[in-house]
Amino acid sequence: MSTSPSILSVLSEDLLVRVYECLDQPCRKTWRLISKDFLRVDSLTRTTIRILRVEFLPTLLFKYPNLSSLDLSVCPKLDDDVVLRLALDGTVSTLGIKSLNLSRSTAVRARGLETLARMCHALERVDVSHCWGFGDREAAALSSATGLRELKMDKCLSLSDVGLARIVVGCSNLNKISLKWCMEISDLGIDLLCKICKGLKSLDVSYLKITNDSIRSIALLVKLEVLDMVSCPLIDDGGLQFLENGSPSLQEVDVTRCDRVSLSGLISIVRGHPDIQLLKASHCVSEVSGSFLKYIKGLKHLKTIWIDGAHVSDSSLVSLSSSCRSLMEIGLSRCVDVTDIGMISLARNCLNLKTLNLACCGFVTDVAISAVAQSCRNLGTLKLESCHLITEKGLQSLGCYSKLVQELDLTDCYGVNDRGLEYISKCSNLQRLKLGLCTNISDKGIFHIGSKCSKLLELDLYRCAGFGDDGLAALSRGCKSLNRLILSYCCELTDTGVEQIRQLELLSHLELRGLKNITGVGLAAIASGCKKLGYLDVKLCENIDDSGFWALAYFSKNLRQINLCNCSVSDTALCMLMSNLSRVQDVDLVHLSRVTVEGFEFALRACCNRLKKLKLLAPLRFLLSSELLETLHARGCRIRWD
Amino acid sequence: METEDDLCHNNWGSSSSKSREPGSSDGGNQTFAGFTSQQKWEDASILDYEMGVEPTLQVFDEMKASGQANVDFLQGVRAQAWDPRTMLSNLSFMEQKIHQLQDLVHLLVGRGGQVQGRQDELAAQQQQLITTDLTSIIIQLISTAGSLLPSVKHNMSTAPGPYTGQPGSALFPYAREANNVASQSQNNNNCGGQEFDLPKPVVVDERESHVVEEHEMKDEDDAEEGENLPPGSYEILQLEKEEILAPHTHFCTICGKGFKRDANLRMHMRGHGDEYKTAAALAKPNKESVPGSEPMLIKRYSCPFLGCKRNKEHKKFQPLKTILCVKNHYKRTHCDKSFTCSRCHTKKFSVIADLKTHEKHCGKNKWLCSCGTTFSRKDKLFGHIALFQGHTPAIPLEETKTSASTSAQRGSSEGGNNNQGMVGFNLGSASNANQETAQPGMTDGKISFEEPFSPMNFDTCNFGGFHEFPRLMFDDSESSFQMLIANACGFSPRNVGESVSDTSL
Repeated sequence: MSTSPSILSVLSEDLLVRVYECLDQPCRKTWRLISKDFLRVDSLTRTTIRILRVEFLPTLLFKYPNLSSLDLSVCPKLDDDVVLRLALDGTVSTLGIKSLNLSRSTAVRARGLETLARMCHALERVDVSHCWGFGDREAAALSSATGLRELKMDKCLSLSDVGLARIVVGCSNLNKISLKWCMEISDLGIDLLCKICKGLKSLDVSYLKITNDSIRSIALLVKLEVLDMVSCPLIDDGGLQFLENGSPSLQEVDVTRCDRVSLSGLISIVRGHPDIQLLKASHCVSEVSGSFLKYIKGLKHLKTIWIDGAHVSDSSLVSLSSSCRSLMEIGLSRCVDVTDIGMISLARNCLNLKTLNLACCGFVTDVAISAVAQSCRNLGTLKLESCHLITEKGLQSLGCYSKLVQELDLTDCYGVNDRGLEYISKCSNLQRLKLGLCTNISDKGIFHIGSKCSKLLELDLYRCAGFGDDGLAALSRGCKSLNRLILSYCCELTDTGVEQIRQLELLSHLELRGLKNITGVGLAAIASGCKKLGYLDVKLCENIDDSGFWALAYFSKNLRQINLCNCSVSDTALCMLMSNLSRVQDVDLVHLSRVTVEGFEFALRACCNRLKKLKLLAPLRFLLSSELLETLHARGCRIRWD
Repeated sequence: METEDDLCHNNWGSSSSKSREPGSSDGGNQTFAGFTSQQKWEDASILDYEMGVEPTLQVFDEMKASGQANVDFLQGVRAQAWDPRTMLSNLSFMEQKIHQLQDLVHLLVGRGGQVQGRQDELAAQQQQLITTDLTSIIIQLISTAGSLLPSVKHNMSTAPGPYTGQPGSALFPYAREANNVASQSQNNNNCGGQEFDLPKPVVVDERESHVVEEHEMKDEDDAEEGENLPPGSYEILQLEKEEILAPHTHFCTICGKGFKRDANLRMHMRGHGDEYKTAAALAKPNKESVPGSEPMLIKRYSCPFLGCKRNKEHKKFQPLKTILCVKNHYKRTHCDKSFTCSRCHTKKFSVIADLKTHEKHCGKNKWLCSCGTTFSRKDKLFGHIALFQGHTPAIPLEETKTSASTSAQRGSSEGGNNNQGMVGFNLGSASNANQETAQPGMTDGKISFEEPFSPMNFDTCNFGGFHEFPRLMFDDSESSFQMLIANACGFSPRNVGESVSDTSL
């Protein structure tokens, strides 16, 4: 024991840093918990931090002097007062912070934001997405961060042109801005943005009600590289024509679900930008015509193309793949005309393919999958949702050849059976596996997955009613790094199986919806084992009694989101849950038959200062006290009345 | 404006015809001699042309000396205080002048027979001379009357309306006019012995083609910005400053009354005799021109202000299209902005039509820039912001202020309410029931509710704490139930403190 510190002390600090960098996250934690040297190394080298408990923020800022990125998006109790107090605390240095994530921090308003913006002089990146209450005032506060370069304001519902103008004028060096779902923004705001922030490289105007005039302004941005305009209902081909002669640096365009955009608009983009790398035009083009293919042929650098929902005949797929051989990602979901002939050609031509989405391509069979698996050895993601003709044969070649595949989506593929899973389990790098609605799999298949796919991070077994406790036990033993597990409506599962989940210490997302056989014992076991649990869905688990919830209230300190709909939770247990789960921010409390109005009132009062989202039965709106509802509203909590 | 002119015209018609009845129909001196009657001078209630006429050079000198006086008159805001003595001296001066004129005419009459040969030329010269003097007298007369205006206004309220036939009732409803005439006449005085240069015929022609309302045309000088006539393809005319500022451009050659439009002048002329009532006399002058005659050169105007882009000496000279453009341009660019908006008291204009347009929208401007400028339209604000560096749209303050204060109030009041509201709320029965029925899984079932399960213990539901944070700054709100559960459920208490490192990952 006495020698171990000396070994570490022999190593110089930069070597220690290197060693530390080689470790993975759980290992790092272990090492810094047992060694002061590594703790020191960690405190010196750590540049990013994500905080769940804002009360530790001052200490952490003090301990990690080199932090440049601060993520406060999951802090439930972050509000203006906390920020102001932090500002008054002289010991805290925030000068080095360049990136700030305040996503969903609905309780922070203009005052707090302005304080933060002034405290962090070096601020370059801010994310305030999904702060639905944010508007012009908050934008004005943000505009005092003059050095801002990247800003994400998705779903700041009240943000209007005026607020955008404040930001634009205040932070004219912006080079990346996302305004997705900021529904109040109009052409005027976009026009001003494009006039003043000339250095803009990335712009997201998805879902905005902007017209072609905006595109005309956008086309004047010389440095623009990435333009996302998903579902802009007022933009048509005329607007895209402005892009043909404008925005010379454009490399990525997303016009998914722009209803009025047709192939001719896409052609004008392609014609003007022969160097384009990414083109997403899902669900807006009806078919891929010869003229379009002619222009596509000229795109030597095209790496990603999404044409989901279009009629892509085999011949056009053949010519597309033969001309764009450097394609790495192709989206063909709902392209119902795609058959094996086209796919074989694609596989033979595009050898670098990494991502392939064939969801709902019903005519694709094992032949196509085998061809893809054999030719495209770099394949990382394969989505085959609802490809009903896929059987174990296709999966066999996947298991044999696609060693690098990390994500596999087999949702709703009838053909997948235990043998298929056995083949899949040979893909040892598999991290995400979706087997939802695959009813033909049993414990045997799951056992193969559990025993071989040790790197699995996500597993979706939604409505896989064929497997039971033994399978789950095998998974829990084998897939230790699993952090997302969906077991909803796997009716065979009982407490015996569910108890095994406690071995998955890294589990953070667990869905147990509709498991009628599990009781408080099972839930208590999960709660005591899975300390990192952040999301729990126990909707319709009617047999979980209060003992389970009490355990949850005691152990699941990190729980942020919980769905208790149709549970038999009692008044007391609900109050206990809501008061003890100090990180809980998003709660669904619909159809709780045993909870009285007083119970709701009481429970909500206990947690009203941290809730951000709440779902309740509509009649409660009139039964709960108005003070409570007002308080919830003032804290930025969004209530959905069901 | 139309009615105003008509009104004047009618009055003039009637008054001049009246005055002509006793006098002779030749020339104008007798007619004007009739004006000098002072019988009603003291009676301020029925001021008339005849009465106001008593201007003197003194008055003009005063006005010149004060400098601002003209402007004040133009505003019609402040009239000089009425001083009967000044007025009297004015009148006597006027009398003197008229006598001089009378003498001159006598002389002319005496000479009339002697020089027969050159009679035509001479007559024209004489007439012009007399006209000049008369005009000057009239103008002085009017300006003197104008200085009395406040009393006129005051008395107008009690006086009968303009259509009752009372000659004095509607005579000078607008002080500005009178004073403008004054300023013009001042100019004439400055010119000294020069010919009284009545507005050039060209002017009349131009005016004729623009019978549109004046303020509708105010954008003209912006509109013709794009006009690109090659130099030399048009004739450049330059009016003098005084002519530009004169309210009237058309004057009656008989009585000297000024009009803004020549159509109104022609209507007025009908009152001077039947010869002016013919269709030819009433027709538009430029329509009389023979169709076959050589095409007139296009006329463009130059601003008399040296150094102005609209001045013909300017390198990049851009001519003005019409007289009206000249007027508006000159007033807007080279004159004081003397009309202040009565609503916002900040915006100033030099063209009254601009003021009226502004007043229509004043207060409706909800788009505010950080520089204080307001806009009625959002796109105008954004254009402004794009143009001026550093300007940003201002966000109205009151909305949040009120909501913040109410929420603070509510927060504090709720803190109080909370206690009262929750006292009556007793969860004890419910939890006792649960204890019996809902804990089958509990082996020991020792959940004790001995401690009153009072809402007051819920220190987390601290409504008042939003703003004041009565407790620790960063309070984790570990409820007091923590231990209770731990004991009750039989779980060994775990070290919760490690969560720092947990979450910092």
